[in-house]
Amino acid sequence: MEKRSRGFYVLAAFFGLFVLFLYGPILTIGILSFQGPQGGLTFPMNGVSTYWFRDLFQEQAVGDIWGAFRRSTMLGLMVMITTVVVSVMAGLAFRKRFAGSGVLFYAAITSLVIPSILISLGVGLIFNQLGLKIHWATSGFGAQLTWTLPFGLLIMFAVFNRFDKSYEEAARDQGATAWQTLRHVVLPIIAPSLIGVGLFGFTLSYDEFARTLLTSGSYNTLPLEIFGMTTNVTTPVIYALGTLTTAFSFAIIAAFLLGAWIMGKRRARLGSDAGKGL
Amino acid sequence: MRLTNRQVIGWLEAAPLTLVLLAFLIAPIVMIVIVSFWGATEFSIYPAFQLDNYEFLFSSPVTYKVFGATLKYAFITWALTLAIGFTVAYFMAFHVRSQTVQIALFLVCTIPFWTSNIIRMISWIPFLGRNGIANQTLISWGVIDQPLEWLLYSDFSVILAFVHLYTLFMVVPIFNTMMRIDKSLLEAARDNGASGLQTLLHVILPLTKPGIMIGTIFVVTLVMGDFITVRFMSGSQRANVGRLISNDIGLLQYPSAAATAVVLLCTVLIVIAILLRFVNIRKEL
Amino acid sequence: MAKPKVGYSRRSLLRAGGAAVAAAAFPAPMLWAQETKDITLRQFGTGVSNLNDVAKKVKEDLGFKLEMTALDSDSVTQRAATQPDSFDIADIEYWICKKVWPTGNLQAMDTSKIANYDKIVGIFKSGKLTPDSEIAQGTAPSTVGFVDGPDGRTFAKEETGWMTLIPTIYNADTLGIRPDLIGRPIESWTELLNPEFKGKASILDISSIGIMDMAMVCEAMGEIKYGDKGNMTREEIDKTMAIFTEAKKNGQFRAFWKTFDESVNLMASGEVVIQSMWSPAITAVKSRGIPCVYQPLKEGYRSWGGGIGLSKSLTGMELDAAYDYINWYLSGWVGGYLMRQGYYSAVPETSKEFMSENEWGYWFEGKPATGVITSPTGDKLADAGDVRDGGSFYERMGHVACWNSVMDENQYMVRKWNEFIAS
Repeated sequence: MEKRSRGFYVLAAFFGLFVLFLYGPILTIGILSFQGPQGGLTFPMNGVSTYWFRDLFQEQAVGDIWGAFRRSTMLGLMVMITTVVVSVMAGLAFRKRFAGSGVLFYAAITSLVIPSILISLGVGLIFNQLGLKIHWATSGFGAQLTWTLPFGLLIMFAVFNRFDKSYEEAARDQGATAWQTLRHVVLPIIAPSLIGVGLFGFTLSYDEFARTLLTSGSYNTLPLEIFGMTTNVTTPVIYALGTLTTAFSFAIIAAFLLGAWIMGKRRARLGSDAGKGL
Repeated sequence: MRLTNRQVIGWLEAAPLTLVLLAFLIAPIVMIVIVSFWGATEFSIYPAFQLDNYEFLFSSPVTYKVFGATLKYAFITWALTLAIGFTVAYFMAFHVRSQTVQIALFLVCTIPFWTSNIIRMISWIPFLGRNGIANQTLISWGVIDQPLEWLLYSDFSVILAFVHLYTLFMVVPIFNTMMRIDKSLLEAARDNGASGLQTLLHVILPLTKPGIMIGTIFVVTLVMGDFITVRFMSGSQRANVGRLISNDIGLLQYPSAAATAVVLLCTVLIVIAILLRFVNIRKEL
Repeated sequence: MAKPKVGYSRRSLLRAGGAAVAAAAFPAPMLWAQETKDITLRQFGTGVSNLNDVAKKVKEDLGFKLEMTALDSDSVTQRAATQPDSFDIADIEYWICKKVWPTGNLQAMDTSKIANYDKIVGIFKSGKLTPDSEIAQGTAPSTVGFVDGPDGRTFAKEETGWMTLIPTIYNADTLGIRPDLIGRPIESWTELLNPEFKGKASILDISSIGIMDMAMVCEAMGEIKYGDKGNMTREEIDKTMAIFTEAKKNGQFRAFWKTFDESVNLMASGEVVIQSMWSPAITAVKSRGIPCVYQPLKEGYRSWGGGIGLSKSLTGMELDAAYDYINWYLSGWVGGYLMRQGYYSAVPETSKEFMSENEWGYWFEGKPATGVITSPTGDKLADAGDVRDGGSFYERMGHVACWNSVMDENQYMVRKWNEFIAS
């Protein structure tokens, strides 16, 4: 291990500030979620209590947070899985330089750069003119895919551009079929990136507002529900939701790190050569 | 024969993406273009071929102003996110050694995004407001004696929120390209006597260009298409093109919204086409 | 097809029961319990009246499920106009009705099936609060409240027996102020543009409502003499916008608000000391222990009204359930609930049954409270001895200067409004 340079500390401090900046609103949310029962969304604090956390699990005056939460999670998972599958397939396709790949590529780029509200407007108009019912799981789902798929595709480009073809050749030389090569060689190697694709797919979908705005139909997703709730008195209950979300996410990360740490230990104890970079 | 087979499999693999894009991208765009020539009443839209929507759009000085503001937001946000994003990515790629820690740090940066954007925007208000934390702190430190009014409901707060929301979109692609830089190149540079700065400027920067370009594309398009951030953070005092569109939609003026949307789309595509001239995304990713 | 015709006619009920009994017994659900429990009605509207407590009470009293979706007012208009399949019941404002009705997404309601129709206040029928009052300018509910027949597409001038919306909730709006931060009496709409409040004023960014607030101000300032504020000419719109654009450029406004919540936060956090506001928003600020007054102004109030409309696609049992719901809505429980928040119910006399004497006196009659006044959710709103800002129902609704409007030149106004926001 070489010694940390001075640059490291400067950059680490910068990174720390960046994280602090990212968490600025989360901190405000965290503090204000402990408002007293009479408190509002802004300072000053009106007493300190855990009232709003309990209130979060009661029925609200307006809106249905948990119903919306379920829909958003469901939609996020749908988008996540579809994004992973479709981007991997498209990524594989682009390696084959099929006819029309150029057009498809530019369509994907357009999809990435088109302002979200256009998709929302366009999809809404089409469903409307065709007399189809819009629903978060159909039109909303499709509208969100236009955002997550190009994202996934770009990641697949990055992955396959750096993919060492000799692994595939080796597999083929040993008589593996195309499918076996894919299943047992290619997919395991790109698996970690797929987790990234999935995670981003979920995050983008879970927080998507504009694309779902005109395409969600009768039932709101969580961001829309929260926006709708602001048409009545919004209580710090939405802050309590934010605080819980953050705490929950941290718990997951901690579990992940712990898992990685235990795996590392076990690997070291078993004296496996994996991870030693043979 | 083999080649055709390959073609067919390629098409099959590309089919799902193609279908999604056809249904939810191409068709909506076509629809918007068509509708932009339609007419609208108070409550409905009717097929027609008229140029009224465009005529009104291009004859209003506000349009130009708003497009100007949109580009301004995009540019400032881009510059800030690039500076911050590059530094953060550099730190994560070259100074954090364990992959587990890298992933953990990424997750730490992602967590705030799981709290709804709207909640996070609302929460800026108690932070930046007249009696908010920022002003209170500055006053108690004696830096200022009057609360700073421009912290909230201003261009400042809008850009702050943009940077807050979108820096990560810059960090990820830059980090990605940095990770793929062959470390031996850096060693070679050092062995040849290049200073840290020289290595940064002449080796790392050129090699991360694709990542920077992709990050740029993300940030620029996200900012140009935004409407909700501007509305919340400026207290509706400022406007960008997205807000013009969403206002029109809210008032059921779909054709007028569509016309503005077409112009916005063209602007964005031109900007992106220019950016793409500098980088071949497919090859250099 | 052989489904029994359910629902009830007003006349037969009155004959059978007599008004007093009817008021207390309403609504007697007319559908068979086992059938109704599978019925789900989807209602949408703004959070103002899309309350979960109402849905819960509907389940209790009527047996069917009412699903509430709360949206911001733009989305409400959009959904009503463009997504007729996504709802069964639309809870919208009268000015939205003026825009949406011609789409044919809503069906007219037969007033003979509305048990309490006779008791609905005059504002929603003849347009007159009392026989000798005048109809205020703007999109008054009576002007868009009736159509010629079940399929009528144009609004009728007087009561026809076919209603577009069943009125549910309404109020008289004025400016909200922070008396502690202003420290002097406020009497006129002109104060909104008073340079004294530079950077501390706000109006709402919903064009049909905001333009009326603007008109009240401009008229009060004596800058513009409107022919009809509720139906301005292009020239009047231009002049009004010019005055406000000028003020905006000079930094008069801290922010514009679009959702209820924003107005509460602006006021509670002290960002703004004077702004257009809605009554329960004042209540919300007050319930945090922050002084806030819904200031009656000498030029009068700007009023609004909401109602529920039925989707065109409602038929058969669902339609009957919807009528049951409407009858239940007017039978008092909801009215009492809304009135205890500071709104008014369309049938005040039935709501009286669901309010204490103290509450009725405070909210409706403008009398000093004889005890603590609490909101339906239990927050303390006023102490004994307090009097409601603006006084009694008749004092407040009697001083309505205009209603939220959709004008003939609405499209022009909307474009100008967009420019105003963007300028």
